Amino acid sequence: MKPMRDFIHGELAWKPWVTPLDITAATQEQLAALKVTPSNRAVGAYSLVLAHDPEALNARSPLYNGIMFGAKGLPRAERELGAVTASRINGCAYCASVHALRFNQLAKQPEVIERIQRDGVAAELEPRLRAIVDYAAKLTRDPAAITPADAAPLRAQGLGDLEILDLTHAVAMFAWANRLMQTLGEAADPAAPGNPL
Amino acid sequence: MSDVIDTLAGIAPDSPLWKLRRERPEVVTHLQGSDDAIFAPADDGGLTRAERAAAALRSSELLRDDVLVQHYRARLAALDPKGVLAKTVEGGAQLTDARWDAIVAHVDLVTRGPGAAAREDIESLTAAGLSSHAIVSLSQLIAFVSFQSRVLAGLRMLKGAA
Repeated sequence: MKPMRDFIHGELAWKPWVTPLDITAATQEQLAALKVTPSNRAVGAYSLVLAHDPEALNARSPLYNGIMFGAKGLPRAERELGAVTASRINGCAYCASVHALRFNQLAKQPEVIERIQRDGVAAELEPRLRAIVDYAAKLTRDPAAITPADAAPLRAQGLGDLEILDLTHAVAMFAWANRLMQTLGEAADPAAPGNPL
Repeated sequence: MSDVIDTLAGIAPDSPLWKLRRERPEVVTHLQGSDDAIFAPADDGGLTRAERAAAALRSSELLRDDVLVQHYRARLAALDPKGVLAKTVEGGAQLTDARWDAIVAHVDLVTRGPGAAAREDIESLTAAGLSSHAIVSLSQLIAFVSFQSRVLAGLRMLKGAA
């Protein structure tokens, strides 16, 4: 695996391996999937790559929002922790940097990300976060190994069925997102020339 | 139209897990919408529905999810009645078509773990004749099956632990 970049100090950018859609040549369907309007034409390279398949993009964007931002259920910070865990294990530096920042903005517990950055997903954490990261790690590494017994540590930390479903969705979404980010392009330093983000 | 995740997880209408999933109605709707967009697109970009089902079958076998394997095997059988693609994915038939070889290699790489992917892997798909649309569709497909296997694993866990 490639060496893991530091994901504490600022977001990385992303450099595509597939030529992004030329927005001036986009179809109406592609513009709709990108949510491009006359007042909002700032679209990143990642979205412009995904817009080559507007049908898939058009379904995935509201699915992502429902999973990560849906009201009630698991606190958003803990969904972000699931995303960070999956991204760290998969080695997606871009995803890990973005979602570590989101966790920090929501949770105000910077030591959590610092520990995961330093010690990996086995880092020492408070019991509730430990249970969340353990489940997220197992689900990321080998979903076939998950058994009903894996629900018990989550329930012991007060997670109900909706919270467990939300965590499952968030971790699963990053099995998806990491695979797009890491196979259609690569993380890059924000200052790199020609970087569109 | 039936909901694929409910069917594959064995969730009966109005059961506790069915009701739990409906507490996230936008997830239910757009998860099924993603399935439809990925496996039955109006414009396939040059990656056929049969090829999509075959690639998903390959990915689900690597994930060792028997229910997903049966699902994609049936989907492929309906789209590829002569079983040509099924033989290349499951039957150990020699792969001689460079385009399909490149697709299968990409399925294996991305399913196992995305960290090893490099620019050359995308270039080999382009060299095998896949359009940008087809490459993005294939990437979405592989990533979706990995997503799907984890959603199913979590739902089975909740079902078994109820």
